[in-house]
Amino acid sequence: MHNVKRVPLSEDALKAKQTREHAQLARYLNLTDTVLTKRKNKDYSNDAFESTTALLRDNPEFYTIWNYRRQILLRGIFPQSSAVQIKDILIQELSMTTEALRRLPKVYWIWNHRRWCLEAIPQGPDDDPTQWKQSVWNKELYVVERMLDTDPRNFHAWNYRRYVLANVAHPNSETHELAYTTKKIESSLTNFSAWHQRSKVLSSLWAKGTLSLDSKEEEFDLVKNAIFTEPNDQSAWIYHRWLMGLGADKELLEREISVIQDLLDEQPDSKWAMDSLVHYKSLLIQTGPNADKLTLTNDCLRLLNDLRTIDPQRRTRYDDLGAVLKTNQ
Amino acid sequence: MSLTTLLVGKHVSYIQNLGKNKDLAYHRTTHLRMNGIYWGLTALHIMGHPEALDRDEMIAYVLSCWDQEAGAFGAHPEHDAHLLSTLSAIQVLVMQDALDRIPDLERLVTWILSLQQPSGVFAGDTFGEFDTRFTFCALNALSLLGRLNHLDEEKTVDYIQRCRNFDGGFGAQAGAESHAAQVYTCLGSLAILDRLDLVDKSALSWWLAERQLPNGGLNGRPEKLEDVCYSFWVLSSLAILNKVPWIDAEKLTAFILSAQDPDNGGIADRPGDVADVFHTVFGIAGLSLLGYPDLVDLDPIYCMPAKLIEKMGLRKDWKALERRTE
Repeated sequence: MHNVKRVPLSEDALKAKQTREHAQLARYLNLTDTVLTKRKNKDYSNDAFESTTALLRDNPEFYTIWNYRRQILLRGIFPQSSAVQIKDILIQELSMTTEALRRLPKVYWIWNHRRWCLEAIPQGPDDDPTQWKQSVWNKELYVVERMLDTDPRNFHAWNYRRYVLANVAHPNSETHELAYTTKKIESSLTNFSAWHQRSKVLSSLWAKGTLSLDSKEEEFDLVKNAIFTEPNDQSAWIYHRWLMGLGADKELLEREISVIQDLLDEQPDSKWAMDSLVHYKSLLIQTGPNADKLTLTNDCLRLLNDLRTIDPQRRTRYDDLGAVLKTNQ
Repeated sequence: MSLTTLLVGKHVSYIQNLGKNKDLAYHRTTHLRMNGIYWGLTALHIMGHPEALDRDEMIAYVLSCWDQEAGAFGAHPEHDAHLLSTLSAIQVLVMQDALDRIPDLERLVTWILSLQQPSGVFAGDTFGEFDTRFTFCALNALSLLGRLNHLDEEKTVDYIQRCRNFDGGFGAQAGAESHAAQVYTCLGSLAILDRLDLVDKSALSWWLAERQLPNGGLNGRPEKLEDVCYSFWVLSSLAILNKVPWIDAEKLTAFILSAQDPDNGGIADRPGDVADVFHTVFGIAGLSLLGYPDLVDLDPIYCMPAKLIEKMGLRKDWKALERRTE
């Protein structure tokens, strides 16, 4: 159980809880029994469908019942329905999962059912066969944005978002997505999920040539601003490492080292500034014979020594990195 | 109250009592029952009490979850077959030395293999939810059954590689953010397939080491809260990379111990919260990898007793901390 505080119950309180639960338990067992019996009897009627609604409202983690519900739709209800009716039923299903996700935003089975419903939307209407699908899919981004408003780090919601984006054919969807990550990052610099999404969207935009590679400079400005605002937050530092990982020559390494050095001068015990300096200086050592290897190595060893003191939890890592630098000296 | 030692006796009786109080929560969690048995039994093995639960009763229960229509195991009698419960069932049968009791091994292997998607990832069941968790479940199960040779290895590895991010970590699907539990499933999968050469070891070890928070606990992603279960997901990954010393073992040990329930036994996600068997096994598994005294060695890839995995010829090149004597 996540995030449930332990509260010691007195004997009386425990008894009261048991009495309270007694009727609820009987109802639950009765309902489970009813649904499982119908399932065993291959009952794909409307009545069976309603009974799964009741059980799933009570317990949306009962995956077998979601499976049964889909079987009822496929084997019992859809064969007797028109395309319009099927579409309407699936839209109702989507509302049901929205409601369930509002209560339990991290239950895999609910998200899974939602995907199934989306993919099952039939073609139609006759004069514009993609219209139903498009109008339903287009609403999904709105729904998932509300979920991310509530919990901006919910990885289920982010994964779902990427799934929807990949399936909604919209020429500007990646440019919009970039703007969305800007908005999420601006509202919380610690939202690494948004930084991650940004790295994926930018990679794609750059690869396709939709966005000029010159915009990389804007990214450096964005991340610099974040690092100076929240120097103890990992998110922007990890993003910085991604930007640099795209290909950093001697010039860029030296420029960014100097930016981080400025920060370190302002905040002399910034662990992430020190760790990043060690990383980029180590890369600079490898850029060629012109680099001042000895000075850089000594800089790194001094920084690693400081890191041992301010971040003793990871001192073995700093020792190991130092040992490698010394071996290569 | 400060909790500085592992309350083995309390945890053993906590696990023994799990099936006794059949309240609403017990009945509402039938979909996790098979996993729960694996978690409980593994915890007992690691604490040196493998016989604390009745063997015959357990095997009979596992067999009662066989889904005859699919040819695999569900989480509870009359529940549909799923990879999550199927792996747990196989693991329980391995620990009980009863693999030969599987009703139809050939059908089971066929069912597992049938879940691989064209992209190479595995679905959890025939309804198609896919995730690198299921890839790991499939690989783990096939290797325990000695049937890895039936797998399309290239396709499998290809998808895992697509889930790798610039920070060295892995996500649930291609494009997804790195998450410690998914790092474990992808790293474990690559370890089982002897393909750790595909891992950016220095970036990933760095990312994993940064999961430790000042209070000693580990989180699963940057800027998130600590949780005892990451003591396993992160530590096992570090053990596979031979980098357990990159975090502070003493502080993590103290954090896990502080999340114990001193009255009723069991370990919670965080100090002061309600214990459950999931956090109990992953807390104890973490302690074993940290060399906590008197615990049994745990294989970080299979999350089962190391000796058992060794005996099956499945031991890989991982490294936990030396067991301390006190």
